[in-house]
Amino acid sequence: MEGRLANAWRLTANDKSFIRTALLSEIRIDGRKPYEYRKIVVKFGREDGSSEVQLGQTRVMGIVTAQLVQPYRDRPKEGILSIFTEVSPMADPSFEPGHPGELAVELGRIIDRGLRYFCYLLKDLIEAEVCQLYSSNPLSFLFPRMYRAYSVESKAVDTESLCVLAGKFVWAIRIDLHILDNGGNLVDAANIAALAALLTFRRPECSLGGEDGQEVIVHPPEIREPLPLIVHHLPIAITFGFFSNDSILVIDPTHNEEAVMGGRMTTTVNANGDICAIQKAGGEGVPQRVIMQCLQLATAKAAGITKQIKEALYDILWYHLLRETTLETGELKCTTQKEL
Amino acid sequence: MEVDREDGRTQNQLRPLACSRNVLHRAHGSASWYQGDTKVLAAVYGPKAGARKNENPEKACIEVIWKPKTGQTGKLEKEYEMILKRTLQSICILTVNPNTTTSIIIQVVNDDGALLPCAINAACVALVDAGIPMKHLAVAICCCVAKSGYVILDPTKLEEQKMKSFAYLVFPNSVHSVLPEGSVQGEPMEHGIVTSVTHGIMSVDDYFYCLERGRAASAKLSDFLRRSLQQHPTDSSKAG
Repeated sequence: MEGRLANAWRLTANDKSFIRTALLSEIRIDGRKPYEYRKIVVKFGREDGSSEVQLGQTRVMGIVTAQLVQPYRDRPKEGILSIFTEVSPMADPSFEPGHPGELAVELGRIIDRGLRYFCYLLKDLIEAEVCQLYSSNPLSFLFPRMYRAYSVESKAVDTESLCVLAGKFVWAIRIDLHILDNGGNLVDAANIAALAALLTFRRPECSLGGEDGQEVIVHPPEIREPLPLIVHHLPIAITFGFFSNDSILVIDPTHNEEAVMGGRMTTTVNANGDICAIQKAGGEGVPQRVIMQCLQLATAKAAGITKQIKEALYDILWYHLLRETTLETGELKCTTQKEL
Repeated sequence: MEVDREDGRTQNQLRPLACSRNVLHRAHGSASWYQGDTKVLAAVYGPKAGARKNENPEKACIEVIWKPKTGQTGKLEKEYEMILKRTLQSICILTVNPNTTTSIIIQVVNDDGALLPCAINAACVALVDAGIPMKHLAVAICCCVAKSGYVILDPTKLEEQKMKSFAYLVFPNSVHSVLPEGSVQGEPMEHGIVTSVTHGIMSVDDYFYCLERGRAASAKLSDFLRRSLQQHPTDSSKAG
């Protein structure tokens, strides 16, 4: 018990009062303005579906994998999307291995809820069908020839989904988020990492075959190009920190500010101005006008971040395109994304 | 015997190595080690107060946590943790900080063969970055024996799967002795073996041949390690 207390990281009283006093003059300890985001760097790995995001000092890695599994018995025609958030002891000395603290559990739940609610319907290139998106409904990532709508409140799940063979085989998409470095504001960074990984993920193409058409043949990537996902809008999580003196508001708190702040709120919006979710779990009370101000700020920031993600994605897709072009002796075999 | 490897390397050629120190901000020490496409990130926290249960409180205790790229931690990860822990226990000076725990966390970023040696190398650099007292460093290498009897070093994942057997070998790194030449009696330290893990069947002669090749390669690895550690000046100290 003593050992654990001794190992816990605590901010000194002097540091805390310094942060609060500086905020009164709209100065943050890392030199940012109150409504300024830290620098975001999105990097991709060599394989499809792996990304690494650095938000200032916070570093998160996202990996997406897919597997053919049996669907849930009560939902034989639905695919499965699962998100695993690993708050690694690498990120913070207070994260104990095998014993997730409150923060870790909440983080996992927010990200899971956020992504599940914010998956979009993806457009099928060949069928050229556009699904209506409702901003309040949770949506799902779409794979070409398969899409599903996911609404948690109404439990309305589109049956044309990641299903390959009803009752036997569906795609289970697994997103692993590894928190590598906790520099504050893990939710935002993890969200961007998950989105970036999902955007570059390609699943193998499969078809039904066999004597009775009951066998699923998964084509390896060398034989048939894996299928990329097409996304129409991205939900971005923006976190605000509230400080008790004079209801000061900051965006994207660092871990020092998180230790001082009185309350936090995470809003998930997209660049179109749709609000996808708002999460404010306890903390000090905040007047209504401040919440409205937050939402307006969030929409403005989301546009900027969406642009950054798309730019990073554009670069990596060009790289993939060039790589595939040379492999196929100059012929372009893969389908390109029309809209980025 | 000329051997054709898929990426065009010779039998004893290692993949391009890259090593960086101090890559994370919260960890007391951190390092990333890239061997070709195999990438491992290591972070060290310590020494922290209190020894773990069932550990000897009169010595420093080392705790290893292995995080795979995807999936649950299973028996393989536990085995890697155990091997890494015993290897690092033998190279750290445990009597300096009794009743403390040093945690080493390994995160696999990409696995393309020779994962455990890569992790051991990364862990050593991270321990140096954190300033944990050690007797000497360790360099790890993987040697494979093929059915026809030839030995290749540092295999990729495909090569590992095709080979009859392979061995992970950890050697102490070569030291630039401050003592004058000839005063060290007996065999030089770098001829020892810290850890050896084998998979598959190999004959005794094959094993000794692997050791020879591995030792030769470990000299090159030691040089690379020394150069990369000497290059970076340490950053300002981190408290918490």
